[in-house]
This record gives sequence, structure tokens and C-alpha cells, in this order.
Amino acid sequence: MTNRLRILRAERNWSQAELAERLGVSRQTVNAIETGRYDPSLPLAFGLARLFGVAIEQLFDPESEPILTDRPPY
Amino acid sequence: MVPPTSPLPSPRESRETAAETGGSSSAEPGCAGFYTARDSRNQRRFNVWLLAMALAYVGAAAALRFRESIPRALPWLLVGLTLILAIQATRSYLVFLRAADELLRRIQTEALALGFGAGAVSSFLCPLLEKLGVPWLDGHATALVMMLFWGAGTWLGTRRYCGSSAA
Repeated sequence: MTNRLRILRAERNWSQAELAERLGVSRQTVNAIETGRYDPSLPLAFGLARLFGVAIEQLFDPESEPILTDRPPY
Repeated sequence: MVPPTSPLPSPRESRETAAETGGSSSAEPGCAGFYTARDSRNQRRFNVWLLAMALAYVGAAAALRFRESIPRALPWLLVGLTLILAIQATRSYLVFLRAADELLRRIQTEALALGFGAGAVSSFLCPLLEKLGVPWLDGHATALVMMLFWGAGTWLGTRRYCGSSAA
């Protein structure tokens, strides 16, 4: 699943830490979602969509594969 | 977990997270930033209970070793205290896990699965190894294997999901 989180965050000029703060999660959670290593829970996905003012389908695309910048160690 | 009807956290929770992440301008190196302020606080509580339990365990083991020269009730008291502190440590870990950031919860759950699996294999393997002539490894070995693999699983999970803030 891919998402537009990094694009939307960049449009608002927020750091990962800022976004994490607004969502009440850790910065690594934001990073893991952006890089496709982790798919968020439904409440967090809705929280992201609400924060960016978009529909959840506009934020996440379940049809496509994530583009990882590097391979996880296991 | 944040309730579905209110996907965004309260301002207090947001402030706690901000304190942990270092605010809006922080750029964290390496694999830092997995813990919110609440997670760190709950982890500290768990560590305190775990340390207290370990100290009580050492005391109980010492009391059992020298039980001939000490009051008869003391070993019972120390073993009972160890049990109570172990229950408290388990309870505080559950509190930590339930309230944890969702990625941290995943890492911990995967690490616990690894630790449990390794402990189960160890408990089955020890009697077989004993029959092969390997010195008997008692229940402590299984507990140690579980804890070691839990720690290793946490490290691996942290590595797996780690990313720098510049990513």
C-alpha cells in the first residue's frame, strides 16, 4: 500500500516530528508509514485523513506496492 | 489506542509527545524516536518493578542458600515478595504495551512472539540435550533464552522499522 503522506506533509512544510506531535504518535511511526514499512491502524489512518483534510482513499492507495528506499534487515 | 470517534489525541497527549520528539524542529539521529513521552514513562515504571523483582529474587535465593542460619519465615517472605513484585512488573508491562505507540506495540509484540517461541523450543530441547549427555539446563535456562530473544527481537524490530527524520 502506498500513500501520499510525505507529499502532503511537505506541502504544509511540517517535519516528521511535527506531524507525529499533531497525531500523538512517535516520529518513527510517521517515518515507517511514509516509507511503506508500516500500515497504520484504522483510527490513525482516519486521524491522518482528517488532519490533512482529505478522504482516506486520497491518502492511501491499497492497490500499489510500497517503494522502499532500503530493504528491511529481516 | 485512540478511540475511533476521536482519531486525534488530546492537547495534553500531544504536548507529551512533543516533549519526547523534541518539538517541531528536532532532527533525530539513527533509530531514535520510537517512544512517546508516555511510552518512556511507562517503560521506566516497568524497569523499576523489574529491578525490584530482580533484587528480591537475589535476596530470596541467598536466603534459601543460608536458610539454616536465618529465621525460618524469611525465605518464605522473600519468595512471596518476589512473586508479588513479578506480578506488578507483568502488570506494568501490560500497561506499557496497551498504551504504547502503535508501531512500538508491533515491535514489542513481534519480539514477545520471538521470545516465547525460543523459550518453547528451549523447554522442549533441554530434556533431549540432557539425554544426549549435555549438562541439564534447568528452568532458568528457558527463562534466560526467552528474555534474550525478547531483547534480540526488540533490537531487530527497531532496526526493521527504523528511519532517520531526514528520510
